[in-house]
This record gives sequence, C-alpha cells and structure tokens, in this order.
Amino acid sequence: MLFKKDDRFEKTFTISDSVYTSFIEVFQDKNPLHTDENFAIDKGFSGKVMHGNILNGFLSYFIGECLPIKNVIIHSQEIQYKNPVYLNDSLNFEAVVVDIFESVNAVEFKFQFKNAEAKVVAKGKIQIGIMS
Amino acid sequence: MERTEVLKNINTIFIEVLDEENIKLTENTSAADVDGWDSLTHIQLVVSVEKFFKIRFTSKEIQSWKNVGEMMDCIKSK
Repeated sequence: MLFKKDDRFEKTFTISDSVYTSFIEVFQDKNPLHTDENFAIDKGFSGKVMHGNILNGFLSYFIGECLPIKNVIIHSQEIQYKNPVYLNDSLNFEAVVVDIFESVNAVEFKFQFKNAEAKVVAKGKIQIGIMS
Repeated sequence: MERTEVLKNINTIFIEVLDEENIKLTENTSAADVDGWDSLTHIQLVVSVEKFFKIRFTSKEIQSWKNVGEMMDCIKSK
C-alpha cells in the first residue's frame, strides 16, 4: 500500500472570480445568497457566500491530481460546512490518512479547509479506492 | 461474540450500507441473493465490517468467501 496512516497532504485553493463564475455558468445555481451582495448581507453575511460545492470541486482536484498516484477513484465522501466562504478567499486544505483497508485497496482521509483567519470553513471524510 | 450476534451485527451493517431495511441475512446468503450487493457495494460492506469489528481482512480472505457464513467464520477467526 502506497499510503500510510497519518500521511498528510496540504494545498492552498483560492476561490477566484474565474472559479466562481465558471461554477455558476456550469451549474446555474444563481440563488441570491451566492449572487446578490445585498441579499447576503441582509441575511447576516459579509458578502456573497460562495457555493459550498465549489469546495467539492477542490476535493476532486486533490484526489485526482495531487496524490502520488493517478489510479484512484472516489468511493464516498461527506462534508460539513462550518463557516461561510467569500469571493477571493484563500483556503488552506489539509488531508490526513486516517484508515487503510488493504483487503479492498481503500484509503480514508479526514480533511479540512481553513480560511485566512485559520477558521475551519468545512471538514469531512473521503474514501478512495486504489485501482489495480 | 456469539455467532448469532455476529450475524445480527452484519445484518445491521448491510441494512445501513445498502439502505434497505428488509434485508434478512442467513449464513447461506450470497451476493446473488441480495439486491444491490455488487462489487462496489462489496467494498463498502467490507470497510464497514472491518471498522465495526475492529479487524482487518486480507484480499485473499475476502475473495474466498462464498456466503455470509464464510464471512462470519473469518470474523470469528480474528
């Protein structure tokens, strides 16, 4: 098995205008919380709240492109959103191997995204399979 | 853990993983008898069983199982 328990991976992701607008263009979620500054402020946020599922895109990138091997597949994932993320926020992503299931070539990571103030904005678990 | 209790716990795991409340496993139950027990689901079942019983199987062991009873034999041997 290529991975060991407690292996740690880090990456910085930025929710740039390009990421934000591309997400809306592809998925068409134009809910005012994500697109109307005044609406979002009226609901108690500092500005337009970025779509939580943008972070799932970063997760996909991490699994698909940042691991030392490419023959991986996502089996399952769960994510909890803890704090809002805003346009141009830079997020520090960290994933740690918490469990390995060699019998079925599966690896489980715990992950979290933190914003510039070191607040956890999202966290969860993701299980991947290593394809032969 | 008694064999009946092992079966009961495996049954609960199958219900959760397959999201199917009507599953009633016996020792003779095989993948062909359970809707949704395919190769991908099998991975989740094995992972859940390993986590629950705090054991680890080898790939050789899981490939040798023909039914739930053989899975139970393997669990009991750990």
